[in-house]
Amino acid sequence: MGFGQFLTEPEFKFIIVTHRDIFQNISQEISRFGNEYAERSSVITLDKDDMKKMGLKAGDTVVAKNTSARVVLKVESSVYEKPHPGIAFMINGPWANALVPADTGGTGVPRFKKIEVTLSRSKTEKVTPLNDLI
Amino acid sequence: MYKGPFVCTGCALLCDDIAAEIQDNRIIRVDTACRKGVSRIKGCSSPMSCMVNGKAVDIDTAIKEAAMILKSSKHPLIFGHGNCTLETQKKTIELARKIYAHIDDTSSFCQGPLIEAILNEKLPTCTLEEVRHKADVVIFWGADPSNSHPRHLSMYSYFPRGKERQRGWEEDRTAITIDIRKSDTAALCGDKFYEIPINGDSEFINALFSALSNKVPKTSFNMDPKKILELANILKKSDFGVIFAGLGMVYSLDSLEPLLRLINKLNETSKFYLIPMVGQYNMRGFDHTLFKETGYINRVYFGREKIEHGPQHSIIELINNNVVDAALIIGSDPLASLPGEIAKKLANVPLITIDPCNNLTSQRSKVTISSALSGVECAGTAIRMDGVEVTLKQIIETDRFSDEQIIKQIMGKI
Ligand code: SF4
Repeated sequence: MGFGQFLTEPEFKFIIVTHRDIFQNISQEISRFGNEYAERSSVITLDKDDMKKMGLKAGDTVVAKNTSARVVLKVESSVYEKPHPGIAFMINGPWANALVPADTGGTGVPRFKKIEVTLSRSKTEKVTPLNDLI
Repeated sequence: MYKGPFVCTGCALLCDDIAAEIQDNRIIRVDTACRKGVSRIKGCSSPMSCMVNGKAVDIDTAIKEAAMILKSSKHPLIFGHGNCTLETQKKTIELARKIYAHIDDTSSFCQGPLIEAILNEKLPTCTLEEVRHKADVVIFWGADPSNSHPRHLSMYSYFPRGKERQRGWEEDRTAITIDIRKSDTAALCGDKFYEIPINGDSEFINALFSALSNKVPKTSFNMDPKKILELANILKKSDFGVIFAGLGMVYSLDSLEPLLRLINKLNETSKFYLIPMVGQYNMRGFDHTLFKETGYINRVYFGREKIEHGPQHSIIELINNNVVDAALIIGSDPLASLPGEIAKKLANVPLITIDPCNNLTSQRSKVTISSALSGVECAGTAIRMDGVEVTLKQIIETDRFSDEQIIKQIMGKI
């Protein structure tokens, strides 16, 4: 057992913005339980400089955490030309929804598109499977 | 043999030009639809079967069990309806009245405020045919139809050569995107993409309002005032403008007041309309049906003495406050679409799911009842995103009951 195991990874604050994706939509029509649906819905897209800062490369996993949930996601690098530090993108689905707070201040409308989380690098964990989300 | 035209129920665009090749009562090829539509029409890979407590049963047993759960429940909820025909929706509302239930749909946490404003005639709207033939300015606001409604731009909003827009997108139409990220739709709009910060919609509306009033527009996010003035000019000169409002806009505005103000201002100099980018094929239909019957589009409680309405009757608050003791879910998958903590709580309530396909909710349900896929295995009517009623045809035969028949049978047993 190495000493490194006990060192906690630094946490970084992010806002997750969700959006739709035609390819995930197609896989959802075929099956909610298919690999493709899971693969597309559990990806978090980060700004290139943020990835550098966190020591991440595409395909690594991160732990996304807030008071609502703790979810392991796969990292992809952003293709947007403009930098978007501190903002991460996810396709709308059960993985992103797990992190949406239940409290709506009585309005009945959760904050689906602006999710505050902390992200930290995960060395060993695999992406959270669908069945563990609910 | 090719047959058609049929209507696709993949999204609330309800494309009505679908051709399908049918062999031995199976759809082997679908033409004209987008990829999402093709997957919808061909059917899912995991059809649902009738089950009670995880055991396969015949449909009568499942219906009987569902009726028993609802009958013994003190505070039942009926939720979903977005993927159901108008005929089914009428029946679910009747059932809700009969068992003094709460009834709600996804509009409760998405496009509801816009649909409500349209039905109360606070927001001017138009049809997609009018967009095709007349619109010269189209604004995708917090919406990305290239991903959510793939044929939107080609059928109606941008590419077609309409009666009064013979030169199509090349000369006759200007497409504008206002969003927080450069979506696929934004990329098509070239330099007519207005990138705003998260929750910056209301501030952007104010700046645009200033520009329309010939004042210098200012934003805390330093958008070039020239760019906003240029946009104001395009909008002022427009003969027929349409705002397609997506969830990005709806979630960002705390109230519709700034939007209503903007639309009124635009209508001082030109004609401007709004169409909500409704997702599920007949969510708008449910809102219309419930509105006709109760004066409310969603979040209704059929109490013994009176009908109640308000955020406290929304699915989110009902689950948050542990009000519901049984739920019937039809044409929806709330465990996939609700916030995780709420989904977990809902999963602990006795659930009945009626759907053609297995989904997260059916997996956690006490009773599942398999139904025919509307627009493919059964006919009906639905309301498109712009409020137009569309007739769905049956493409193939099935021995599965329609949602409507199932609800009728459940009612018969209560
Ligand atoms: S755009 Fe919507 S309605 Fe039209 S074919 Fe695609 S999924 Fe079906």
